[in-house]
Amino acid sequence: MKKTLQRLRKRNYISYISFWIIVFLYFLAILADFIAPYPFNKQFRDYPLCPPTKIHFFDHNKKFHLRPFVYEVKLVNPALNQYEIVKERICPVYFFVKGEKKKILGIFPSTRNLFGTKEGKIFLFGTDMHGRDIFSRILYGARISLSIGIIGVSISFFLGFLIGGISGYFGGKIDNILMRLVEIFMMFPAFYLMLALRAVFPLNLSSFQIYLLIVIILSLIGWAGLARIIRGMVLSIKEEEYVLAAKSLGLSSFRIIFKHIIPNTFSYSITAITLSIPGYILGESTLSLLGLGIQEPYPSWGNMLSVCIGNLRVLSNAPWMLIPGLFIFLTIICFNFLGDGLRDVFDPKNW
Amino acid sequence: MKKLLNVRNVVVGNEEIKILREISFEVNEKEIVSIVGESGCGKSMTLKTIIKLLPKNLEILSGEIYFDGIEIVKYDAMEKIRGKEIGMIFQEPSSYLNPLFTIGNQVEEAIKEKIEKKEKKERVIKILKEMGLSSNVYYQYPHQLSGGMQQRAMIAMSLINNPKLLLADEPTTALDLTTAFGIIDLLKNLVTKYNLSIIFVTHDISLAKYISDKILVMYAGIIVEKGPSNLVYTNPLHPYTQKLINCLPEKYKKGERIKTIEGQVPSLKDLPEGCPFSPRCEYKKKICENYIPGEIKIEERNVRCFKYGNFMES
Repeated sequence: MKKTLQRLRKRNYISYISFWIIVFLYFLAILADFIAPYPFNKQFRDYPLCPPTKIHFFDHNKKFHLRPFVYEVKLVNPALNQYEIVKERICPVYFFVKGEKKKILGIFPSTRNLFGTKEGKIFLFGTDMHGRDIFSRILYGARISLSIGIIGVSISFFLGFLIGGISGYFGGKIDNILMRLVEIFMMFPAFYLMLALRAVFPLNLSSFQIYLLIVIILSLIGWAGLARIIRGMVLSIKEEEYVLAAKSLGLSSFRIIFKHIIPNTFSYSITAITLSIPGYILGESTLSLLGLGIQEPYPSWGNMLSVCIGNLRVLSNAPWMLIPGLFIFLTIICFNFLGDGLRDVFDPKNW
Repeated sequence: MKKLLNVRNVVVGNEEIKILREISFEVNEKEIVSIVGESGCGKSMTLKTIIKLLPKNLEILSGEIYFDGIEIVKYDAMEKIRGKEIGMIFQEPSSYLNPLFTIGNQVEEAIKEKIEKKEKKERVIKILKEMGLSSNVYYQYPHQLSGGMQQRAMIAMSLINNPKLLLADEPTTALDLTTAFGIIDLLKNLVTKYNLSIIFVTHDISLAKYISDKILVMYAGIIVEKGPSNLVYTNPLHPYTQKLINCLPEKYKKGERIKTIEGQVPSLKDLPEGCPFSPRCEYKKKICENYIPGEIKIEERNVRCFKYGNFMES
């Protein structure tokens, strides 16, 4: 792992940075309970569509404060959601302030948050129309959006490798049957297949069930094309001499497929894996956008964005509602760079 | 001496072509047998038949192969024999090693017994050292080694389970002469060290004489002559063997033009009806064009040629 990173750093610095950005995002997602100043479903009814809170060091008298502070804001025009700073109310930002009761990582009970204010509110990315803190919701939403990619990719690559590998290696009838199955899946346009699969299941599922459902739907769509490509690669790799050598050593077919053939597709599939993770994040966003994904009040980056769609007033008055989109963009571009870098690194001939 | 391998009248091919026709030979314990012949005469196919790794469109049509008491042609658990009882090394070691894994990893994988990882590693390093490689090679990737080192690693891989028979498919063809002789001497030493028998396929009949106890000369899927290597080399009987030996550069003085065998190996799709060598043979008789000669035993050798009497294919 350490060696791989060193090579990544040497060969492709952008993808090295991307790697750490991704790690950081996952870190945020895992520790969301602790880092987020508010719970994802906490509504501050007095603060709908509040713009991002600015953090100050100098007050309006140009006086320097060592401890950063925020001003308390007040809704002055509920119709237009206009806020005004209350200049007298300076609320210092503290680390490890007391917040709501929760369990960090689901194990350690705690009431502390990483940062927060004792009076007033701190909304780093503003609030949505229900007065929920977008920053907190992004952190909680990252759990869903970031894990859906990883889990979805693992399932569909597992299926892709298994079916593509078996199909390519054994050939003949098995190949024929499996590839016709793949074609059935590929026949439908992915988007409609997604909607159709979602429509099969009832709408009133618990959010965890919906989450599982989305992962399964997305990976069921993803594996077919992959299996086909893997099959093609296996077809050519199985003619390689080292496969014959492995056979002459008496290794089992299963071992030959998964130890000698599949790893030789990695130069392609590592890139494909990292390039397809964004597809899952976007797929989840699409479903959520259409109201078929993760349901409110549970946040995902997709359903946070979906609020903006068809609501131009919100978009023009509260552009911070689009920040989840920036996170989707950042994640996708980082995964793409990482994929590029990993492909170079995993080819032993480049070492 | 005990017979280890006994190949009896093996025919390999499909409906259209026959790659091997009525092949019979024996390999004793601790014996090196060479198979020589031009390209495309079925040398490599003979090895692949023994280990049953024939290409998909070919099959063993008839005959028997006895290996250590097992009849291989009808045996269907070859995985148990491959690598454990019969090892195989190949022509171009660089392409027969998986480029993605270290040598240690690949040799370890070949170990059939279920032993601990640490023990496996010790065993691999021990055998690498016996093959004349440093223990460093354990951590190296195939592309980091030279051709000779790769071939040694291949040999280590195929010998790690102490097989009784090693099939060597032109293991030195892709190597330069000095490295090649290193490998040849290594193989020769292994015979006594590991109680190994080797079937050694090569183009080079003088190399075959150097390494082996017995030589089989093949032509178009037929073993035309087989016998002790000294005899075959010094006093070849079959016209094809004679011509092969006549092509050797060491038989000529400086400035002399080296003779070659005129004509080409016939395509397997339109073999002559009779003796396949007859179109290129200077002793050709009428019978040669219509019948395939049977085996005849002369001076400790088995020859298939009508020059020594009219023995028909049984």
